[in-house]
Amino acid sequence: MALLAPIISDNGSGYSKIGFAGNSDPSFVFPTAIATRENQVSAAGGGSRAPSIPSKPGHLASKRGIEDLDFYIGDEAFSKPGYGVHYPIRHGLIENWDHMERYWEQSIFKYLRAEPEDHYFLLTEPPLNPPENRENTAEIFFESFNIQGLYIAVQAVLALAASWSSNKVTDRTLTGTVIDSGDGVTHVIPVAEGYVIGSAIKHIPIAGRDITQFVQMLLRERGETATIPPEDQLRVAQKVKEDYSYVCQDIVKEFRKYDAEPYKYFERYEGEHSVTGRKYGIDVGFERFLAPEIFFNPEIYSSDFLTPLPEVVDNVIQQSPIDVRRGLYRNIVLSGGSTMFDHFGQRLRRDLKQIVDKRVAASEVASGAHMRSSGVEVNVISHKRQRYAVWFGGSLLASLPEFYSYCHTKADYDEVGPSICRRYTIFGSAT
Amino acid sequence: MANTLRPYLAAVRSTLTAAMTLENFASQVVERHNKPEVEAAQSIEVLLNPLVISRNENEQVLIEPSINSIRLSIKIKQADDIERILCHMFTRFMTGRAESFIILRRKPVKGYDISFLVTNFHSETMLKHKLVDFIIQFMEDVDKEISEMKLSLNARARIVAESYLTTFG
Amino acid sequence: MILLESHNVIIENTLTEKFQKPSALDVQFVDYDGVRFHLSTPERKSVLLLSMNIRCWEELVKYGAQDVIQREYGKWIAPSVEPEYNVSLQFDTDQVPEGEERAAFIHSVALMKRNALAAPFERAFLKQYQLESIPAPIDGSAREEGELMQIHYRDEEAIYIRASHDRVTVIFSTMFKEETDRITGRVFLQEFVDARRLPSIQNAPQVLYSNREPPLEIRHLSGLKDTEDVGYVTFVLFPRHFATPDTAAATISRIQLFRDYLHYHIKCSKAYMHSRMRHRVTEFLKVLNRAKMETAGEKERKTITGRSLRSFR
Repeated sequence: MALLAPIISDNGSGYSKIGFAGNSDPSFVFPTAIATRENQVSAAGGGSRAPSIPSKPGHLASKRGIEDLDFYIGDEAFSKPGYGVHYPIRHGLIENWDHMERYWEQSIFKYLRAEPEDHYFLLTEPPLNPPENRENTAEIFFESFNIQGLYIAVQAVLALAASWSSNKVTDRTLTGTVIDSGDGVTHVIPVAEGYVIGSAIKHIPIAGRDITQFVQMLLRERGETATIPPEDQLRVAQKVKEDYSYVCQDIVKEFRKYDAEPYKYFERYEGEHSVTGRKYGIDVGFERFLAPEIFFNPEIYSSDFLTPLPEVVDNVIQQSPIDVRRGLYRNIVLSGGSTMFDHFGQRLRRDLKQIVDKRVAASEVASGAHMRSSGVEVNVISHKRQRYAVWFGGSLLASLPEFYSYCHTKADYDEVGPSICRRYTIFGSAT
Repeated sequence: MANTLRPYLAAVRSTLTAAMTLENFASQVVERHNKPEVEAAQSIEVLLNPLVISRNENEQVLIEPSINSIRLSIKIKQADDIERILCHMFTRFMTGRAESFIILRRKPVKGYDISFLVTNFHSETMLKHKLVDFIIQFMEDVDKEISEMKLSLNARARIVAESYLTTFG
Repeated sequence: MILLESHNVIIENTLTEKFQKPSALDVQFVDYDGVRFHLSTPERKSVLLLSMNIRCWEELVKYGAQDVIQREYGKWIAPSVEPEYNVSLQFDTDQVPEGEERAAFIHSVALMKRNALAAPFERAFLKQYQLESIPAPIDGSAREEGELMQIHYRDEEAIYIRASHDRVTVIFSTMFKEETDRITGRVFLQEFVDARRLPSIQNAPQVLYSNREPPLEIRHLSGLKDTEDVGYVTFVLFPRHFATPDTAAATISRIQLFRDYLHYHIKCSKAYMHSRMRHRVTEFLKVLNRAKMETAGEKERKTITGRSLRSFR
């Protein structure tokens, strides 16, 4: 049979990115949310044990025995009255397998319109995913969906692969530090030759949602929010963050620049009330460069977490084995929507370079000027596909002809059982 | 039929209770090893007579006692193809999670659908009568579950067929 | 979701977006039964090219698919077909209709696969109508029948359609690779056969199912597989199922997706079984954990590095 494009499904705690290999963008990006009927103990409760209350006749739910098909996923999940919304993935890990299985079921049949029997699948997992979870995933995909083959990749590794699309990258290596910043949390993950160095991973409790809140706070302090209807405030803050923000190289100079020529730098945001359609406008000022600044000076936003991002990255690399550190410094890859700010990469590189150079200088002094260091190369890679880097990396890998040889096939699964997925075939080593 | 179920389970229960007299026993063959003798089967003298409790040819329990371990294998009722695959699905699902089921053997003994292996370490850390309770409850529930699954499968099939066919005016 | 929809969501979403805000694009995606799509902007942003590849295109053309496509999409058909694909449509974003018409237009494009596959059905319906008007031969010999149309829409599965004077017979050959699927599938198919007994769906087409044994209509064909995992589902459509254009269209949409519908529900059932089993297994675990003795008092002792000591047994 002519092989059809493999399906890439990157299910995150916030959003799921689903699509076909070979494309540059996922076909669907929607919340990893599933809405089920409230008044029924969901399938987890076991069909016959918890007889559901028959609801409105003529509706799907009225057909007893098939209640588990009465659910909605993604954006649709939020617009259905009488349904309760659940998030099957928390902190990157699948918590509710019943919901997740049905979520996949509908994303394949309703949205992708693919017959899973004809496709290979590439799924993603967070670093340090327990092997049991992979087994459960494999069980669902091979037994429920009869898929042809499965490859489960670590998100950070895919993000590295995605950076190959950048023309700055010359050698396609799977060694590097991945900074993955989504909506909920930011991870700094060192990867050596395709293997995650689990002991050195660090999490930063600052991510997209915090930036939005920070912008909102700034706007409120300047009194700009007076004209914005309260229910739109968060949305406006998000818009400001996405459309106007950038990373500055020097915060003091930037303030001075704005004070000198406010008209040049201040932007005007025009909004419309989502319900009444009333127009309003606000000035966007210092938020423009202050918002992403919380990565570099967390003290302006939070009082619990005070380590700037470059320092965290440096710590992570210093905790990794000494022989890979050069590689980790050389290839720092950004992934996720919250790394999309202009000049984010340059700033990170500069700050990190300073830290590294200082340390190199100190050790030269300590050695009594006998040893000269050749210096450490620090590179931060930004590329166009950053937002859905993990998905894109998957799409890239799965469109390579050798992808199929790395997959666990249905035949393998039938032979060995779910434990086959404990074996992690490292992809590519394209060298 | 139902009236034979109770004596069947009672027989299993009392046999199991009697057979589960286990003690710590080091391997006589390999130094510093301590294996379940019923599995290793290297010293015949520590194996006891296995016995089969049978309700009918489709429902049987094989109990193989030994000095430090006891193996219990269950043949689950399978009246037709559907029950057979459901039973297969279910036992495979369970053995896939054998890790948490402590006493579950990953592979059933030949001719049976599911096997449990209780060693003296298990009986030392777990209450014996509760273990027996678990086995009995398992036997009861698994039949129930499979027949319920079969019913719900049929019900689903009917709804699916009806929903499809009603769309043709 | 019980019933599957006929339109392709990706086409619908992408076109809606791109008609509003043209931008460069190059995506490939699929639909059921191995249909491949390629949506791209080869020359400039405002011209979208949508190409479709169907495995059984040649057969479909024989049964008039080109005409159906011509009828449905007329002026949108691209002058040349993209290589490796069977049909190409071309949309200039400046020329597509506006407002509500646009939504309807996009929807009709999203039904491209359905329309291509509809051709043999439409032909069969027409043929039946013609045959009906021919009176039965007086000598009692068999009445004329339409040609047997074969559509090999999947590698190992096919649809056979034949029109006769009072009915149109549609036969699906089905193939189950997995034993579980085969048995589950048989349960489902049996219900399809039985369901017609219900008074509410007396009007539905008659469904017959045979395992292994091909039905009489196609028994003469060569190359039919004869193994345990093959089955044949026969739908007998009566004139009332395609009396008006609307019912005919609905019938076609429905019957095309029969296989996908069946397989979708087999998978859903398995997912449901999984939920049940998950529930049952946690119940069992609860019972088993009751057997564990409480290790009251003595706490686990650990070494300074955090390892726990296990006593030798």
